[in-house]
Amino acid sequence: MEQAVFYLFAAILLFAATMVITVRNPVQAALFLVLAFFNAAVLWVLAGAEFLGIALVVVYVGAVMVLFLFVVMMLDITVAPVREGFARYLPVGLVVAVLMALQLGVVILSDEVALVGGLIPEPAADVNNIRAIGGVLYTVYVYPFEIAAVILLVAIIAAITLTLRRRTNMKHQDIPEQLNVHKDDRLRVLKMETERRPDRGGVGHEEG
Amino acid sequence: MFETFETLFWIFAKIWAVLIPLFLAVAYFTYMERRVIGHMQDRRGPNRVGYKGLLQPFADALKLLFKEISVPTHANRVLFLLAPALSIGPAVAVWAVIPFADGWVVADINAGLLYILAMTSLGVYGIIVAGWASNSKYALLGTLRASAQVVSYEIAMGFALVGVLMAAGTMNLSGIVEAQAGPFWNWFWLPLLPLFLVYWVSGVAETNRAPFDVAEGESEIVAGFHVEYSGMAFAVFFLAEYANMILICVIAAVMFLGGWYSPFHGVPVLGPALDWVPGIVWLLLKAGFFAFCYLWFRATFPRYRYDQIMRLGWKVLIPVTVVWLVVLTVLIYAGVGPWF
Amino acid sequence: MLENYLPVLLFILVGLVFGVVPLLAGFVLGPRRPGAEKQSPYECGFEAFEDSRMKFDVRYYLVAILFIIFDLEIAFLFPWAVVLDDIGLFGILAMGLFVGLLLVGFLYEWKKGALEWE
Repeated sequence: MEQAVFYLFAAILLFAATMVITVRNPVQAALFLVLAFFNAAVLWVLAGAEFLGIALVVVYVGAVMVLFLFVVMMLDITVAPVREGFARYLPVGLVVAVLMALQLGVVILSDEVALVGGLIPEPAADVNNIRAIGGVLYTVYVYPFEIAAVILLVAIIAAITLTLRRRTNMKHQDIPEQLNVHKDDRLRVLKMETERRPDRGGVGHEEG
Repeated sequence: MFETFETLFWIFAKIWAVLIPLFLAVAYFTYMERRVIGHMQDRRGPNRVGYKGLLQPFADALKLLFKEISVPTHANRVLFLLAPALSIGPAVAVWAVIPFADGWVVADINAGLLYILAMTSLGVYGIIVAGWASNSKYALLGTLRASAQVVSYEIAMGFALVGVLMAAGTMNLSGIVEAQAGPFWNWFWLPLLPLFLVYWVSGVAETNRAPFDVAEGESEIVAGFHVEYSGMAFAVFFLAEYANMILICVIAAVMFLGGWYSPFHGVPVLGPALDWVPGIVWLLLKAGFFAFCYLWFRATFPRYRYDQIMRLGWKVLIPVTVVWLVVLTVLIYAGVGPWF
Repeated sequence: MLENYLPVLLFILVGLVFGVVPLLAGFVLGPRRPGAEKQSPYECGFEAFEDSRMKFDVRYYLVAILFIIFDLEIAFLFPWAVVLDDIGLFGILAMGLFVGLLLVGFLYEWKKGALEWE
């Protein structure tokens, strides 16, 4: 049962990943990437990592891919530019692919990572996943944790410096200024003589 | 093999036991909306179909069912028809982890709260895909407004829920309710009052409802991201929107108002006197109160302007939650107060 | 643990079915009388555009980027809130530093006016 579910979702994952790089329309490609992430999350949950699986959905599907979609949707690329420069980038792509395959191989075959035989250690029966992560993340791994904060800080500053443009014709509301307006600034009361009614001829008391 | 089928059968039975009442609730929420707002504006609201108009929602559903689904010429057909499913899928799936009463929950998972956050954050895909696939200026504007707004308020909401987690010490929703066991002054709304208010305001903004309904803005951009949808395709969006509203109400009751506990749980005389009332009744009463507030807001408040909405989300709600989380940490660490 | 997730998976499937079945029913039961005017995108008074997708204000991207960053922060806060009682003062201070760094970023964007809309 569990195996069947695993192979089903693994197959969908591979299919979606292939579609990401073959589909012509970039929006469809991004949506296939969403599907791929979602399936990866299911696989993680199957492997017993419930917190990481759902966090993957929250962060990647719920946030990162939304930005991706924003960008590809609004950049006005309706159909991907035909494969120009395919031959030119092929060698670089191949080198990267080979390097990644080698790295994967090193990890899988090394003795330190006991993945040989394809077995993930069975999680203890009633260990709460979230407590297990929380228990070490903020104490044992506090250094990488703070590094993450620094990276995020850099990301905030970089995003703002790259995208923020001051516009000259800005009209924005300044609430304190609005609240501090005093009537003397806006309103001038003039003392003036009472006007007499213009004579319309035959109006009662003015005749006197 | 037989056992597998039996478990599957029971799971499906539970799913329908949640979904059928949910869809009935959605149907009568639309009816209630028109009646309540009608009375607030000194009109009657729908009262012709069935006794006091009680069959009105079904008449509406049937009407939509027999209408043509028109697909605009320049739309991306596949994505255009996929968008409603992307919208309703998460809106339905969240209900898997909601505890309706003690032990009445379809999937009792440890990461329940995170799952809710994940599913609500998926809802934005329906909006984005619908607006883009329609290939219409108005739909696209509605999409932009809606998605930026939903995304901003999700952060305030997430921070508010972190406070609930700190107070409860578990992400399991039944566990969160059990942490509030006791009379109404034991529930989280009191120690987490600022977070409760932030949660409720951002819940209203998340569902794009008045006074934060610029995404729909019928007087400015007609209907927002779903202008081009008609018939059942529109009905599915509508269903998703109302299911999400009811969800926000139920979650508010579960997180802050003690879920299925009666307001006098554990009080000497009144507690046992109310013990015969089943837990789900209390949950529904609490959620119903929030549902009424939704309608009340719509009939009362004028619409916010877009820059005001963004300012409220980023410059008011998020700072308030951060400050209160710091206060909460100190309170919990020092063991102050009767709650922690 | 996994048996708790089976209903979740089925629930998601049922949810998607709810997006497909009404549309099919609508196509079967509803009329189909397409027409050039009816199929054209909604427009106010003049002929509709061929392609109405457009480039838009960069501010929307900025909101999306900031959203990712704060969403990550929430993802880090969730397990922390659960184990608050077990990790002691050290864990609390670690999170204090983390949130403090991000607050610096938040103040920066506030002062820079990245949160202004006009």
